[in-house]
Amino acid sequence: MSETLERVTVSAFVREKVLLGMAPKVYAKSLFTRTNAIFAAILAIGLPTLAYRFWKGMGAVSNLSQTNPWGIWVAFDIVCGVALAAGGYTVAAAVYLFGQKQFRPVLRPAILTGFLGYLFVVVGLLVDLGQPWRLPYQFFLTPGTTAVMYEVGWCVFLYLMVLALEFLPAALEWLGMTKVRRFMSAISIGIIVLGVTLSTLHQSSLGAFFLMSPGKLHPLWYSPFLPIFFFVSSIAAGIGMVIFESSISHRAFQDQLDPEAHVDMDALQLGLAKGGAVVLFAYFFVRLQGLAASGRWDLLLTGWGAWYALEMLGFVLLPSLLFAFAVRTQSAKLARAAGVMTVLGVVLNRFNVSLIAFNWNVPDRYVPALGEIVISITIVTLGVLVFRWIVNRMPVLREHPDWRGAH
Amino acid sequence: MNLNRRNLIKIAGAAGAATIASRALSSATTRGAAKNAAGVLVDTTRCVGCRACEAACSEANALAAPEKPGDDSVFAGRRRTGPTAFTVVNRSAEKSPNGEERYAKTQCMHCVTPACASGCVVKALEKTALGPVVYHEDRCLGCRYCMIACPFGVPKYEYTKAAPLVRKCTFCAARQEKGLPPACTDACPSGALTFGKRADLLEEARTRIYQNPSKYVHEIYGEDEAGGTSWLYISDVSSASLTLPQDVVKKSYPEMADGALSAVPFIVTLWPPLLMGLYTFSKRRDDVAGHENSPKGAGHE
Amino acid sequence: MNESNLLSPHATKAIEYLLAVSYLLLFIPFWRFVNGATVAQSFALSWFQVPENVHLHRGHSWARTFGGAVAVGLDDFAHKLIGPLDEIRFPAVGTALRQGQKAFTVVADGKPFDVVSPVDGNVVAVNEVVHAHPADAVRDPYGTGWLLKVEPRWLTANLKNLVSGDAARRFLDAAAEALSGRMSPELGVVLQDGGSPVHGIAREIDPEHWDEVVRHYLKGE
Repeated sequence: MSETLERVTVSAFVREKVLLGMAPKVYAKSLFTRTNAIFAAILAIGLPTLAYRFWKGMGAVSNLSQTNPWGIWVAFDIVCGVALAAGGYTVAAAVYLFGQKQFRPVLRPAILTGFLGYLFVVVGLLVDLGQPWRLPYQFFLTPGTTAVMYEVGWCVFLYLMVLALEFLPAALEWLGMTKVRRFMSAISIGIIVLGVTLSTLHQSSLGAFFLMSPGKLHPLWYSPFLPIFFFVSSIAAGIGMVIFESSISHRAFQDQLDPEAHVDMDALQLGLAKGGAVVLFAYFFVRLQGLAASGRWDLLLTGWGAWYALEMLGFVLLPSLLFAFAVRTQSAKLARAAGVMTVLGVVLNRFNVSLIAFNWNVPDRYVPALGEIVISITIVTLGVLVFRWIVNRMPVLREHPDWRGAH
Repeated sequence: MNLNRRNLIKIAGAAGAATIASRALSSATTRGAAKNAAGVLVDTTRCVGCRACEAACSEANALAAPEKPGDDSVFAGRRRTGPTAFTVVNRSAEKSPNGEERYAKTQCMHCVTPACASGCVVKALEKTALGPVVYHEDRCLGCRYCMIACPFGVPKYEYTKAAPLVRKCTFCAARQEKGLPPACTDACPSGALTFGKRADLLEEARTRIYQNPSKYVHEIYGEDEAGGTSWLYISDVSSASLTLPQDVVKKSYPEMADGALSAVPFIVTLWPPLLMGLYTFSKRRDDVAGHENSPKGAGHE
Repeated sequence: MNESNLLSPHATKAIEYLLAVSYLLLFIPFWRFVNGATVAQSFALSWFQVPENVHLHRGHSWARTFGGAVAVGLDDFAHKLIGPLDEIRFPAVGTALRQGQKAFTVVADGKPFDVVSPVDGNVVAVNEVVHAHPADAVRDPYGTGWLLKVEPRWLTANLKNLVSGDAARRFLDAAAEALSGRMSPELGVVLQDGGSPVHGIAREIDPEHWDEVVRHYLKGE
């Protein structure tokens, strides 16, 4: 008798928590939407490609060569991925350390984006490594302590744990585990401080990767201050991503929003835009200082100089001014546009440093292979799907009724 | 990885080596690695392009035989090392002042302070006291950062293998441990390759240039490039024409990353008190202003 | 790192200092610009009122809960858009209403306009006072200008499709912004003072096709 009851409880739990309260057949039927068809198509091409990469080796699916050992898996999935996941620590710092509580509604989505972002950065890394099963060697076997990658490895690993802990309260609320949930509130500030410290370290270290490449990286992008550039722009990237992602989530996940919550998303985005304006303004001048220190103003007159000017003026200074204007005229629409430009600008910068302006003077230029592009898209798709699964079930875009206003 | 005694010693050894290596980073150019580190002087005025070095290398390392042995048409295009060719000879674009062809052997330079070794996250590439920069097959993850870091573009990767490795000249470290010279220097019939202690070879190079100032270009390629390399080149044609990279900075490469890495302990130390101070300040400001977390939480100021 | 081949070390350092000082000088006005959001902009568009506990439907009807029942009416924007009403045709008490389906009909200048219901439920009362004097409804569109009282069926689900508070205000502001370009400045002043136009905004903008303008908004596109 009790066994039947237990079975009933477990399946009721699964139905409630996993199947969104629907019977399995009904749930399965609900998955047949147009959006899901697109995702399914991407995975239908992408997952076999991924399998092929691991079966036949990366040479079979990529254009990586002896002159160009790093391609878009590193440039996009890893380097850009880390920058775009920066919203986690930026918003957490804003809410908890700067006391800007008006950003609370986007805190959990930002942390989730951060957590999943870093998780899929690791996935991208595993795809790019020649012998990914050896990844733990750097921690436990023969640590190369002088390597920038060693510091990045530890930092990303620890930060992934931190993000998991920061997101855990949402999962605990979903599962109804009250006691553990209460414990999490007590240690939250410590975790936040650790998270911001770790983020500062690895965001800047991604820039430090290229410090040993003065000959390979074009002088307009090479600077001994690359770590500072990467760190400051990661803050801007985080702000841009949170604005962008919140505007999509608000429309895509309408049914998750709490109409009682009175979230003025426009005002929230304008608040973030103000931060974005100032950060980008400062970042622009920090980059200029790097150029001044190199003294290579003459290079601005070259073709590469025009490309550099496009990145700086079109994707750093311009979004800064657009953010400022948006805040001034209270136009959330303009703020969202500037947010997208900011994200594109950081992506452009990361691509320039790791791919486009890297090996700039080498005749054998790298162009991503179709297989590499497919795999990158697949990784992003998987991330989006996991994000959607979680947001549809856990209190991310809304507050759990038992935990309103909790830390 | 189980923490048995062997691994503990490995880790301790690695930590110790890391300490030594990091100390070596700072004064690399003047100290060199160990005093008796090996080197090779390549005097291209003596090289006849016979490529015996290539043949000896491939035999000693069980690699495929060099392409087109004895056929000079192989020099038509720029040749590079690869996963199965640890050394190749290139013909210079310039002829010598007395109208002869010039050739230069290229391989790993075995830098005094190698960028690849300092950047390797698992110490798969390691500078040994004897001089060679060796590669540990059993450690490498395949991140290919060594390929990014190396200013000479030396490490090559086995992209088509299921368990790929980095491949490069080993300086015949195994032979050197037995007191033998590298296979290539042993095989060279014209005396273009001289194996010895780097410090001695630098002197020899300077001597040759001093004694024949009109013959040689006044440059010892490898003396300061990348903070100094074990393989030194002297010639009567420019190093550029010998396909030796011209954009190598004359500073130790690991030092370039030092600044960023040294900042790490400072950030770890200073950020927490700074951030906690911020938190305390903003919390106090909120308390004073009476802005508690409203019970509803989201969205309200 | 490539050394500069154009500038001496002194010149380089001088430029660095100059840049730093210029940045500081520029930062001050930039900060002030970003922080001084013009109130004037939002001021001009708050012509329409929405009380806190009122929920608006896209079709410009509203619902207000009191106890277990719901009061329903036509919002401030629609009233001012249409102008003074000649007649309001109510559904009979007991009629079942569906959210998004026609609830009642208002008539202005002889033209009838269907207004959709904001909630699902049954009509339990109609406002007889407004029925007698329809033109008065615009004076207090959310209070005494209520039109129907409804016993709701799926209130929580219905509320998810309605906006209130700041979101409702932005909804009306957006609608107003679309019209403001075509309105005369005098009309803007009247609205700013909380007054209502003599003939309705729609008639002011497009005397020939004003009924199409009204229907466009009542459809909630």
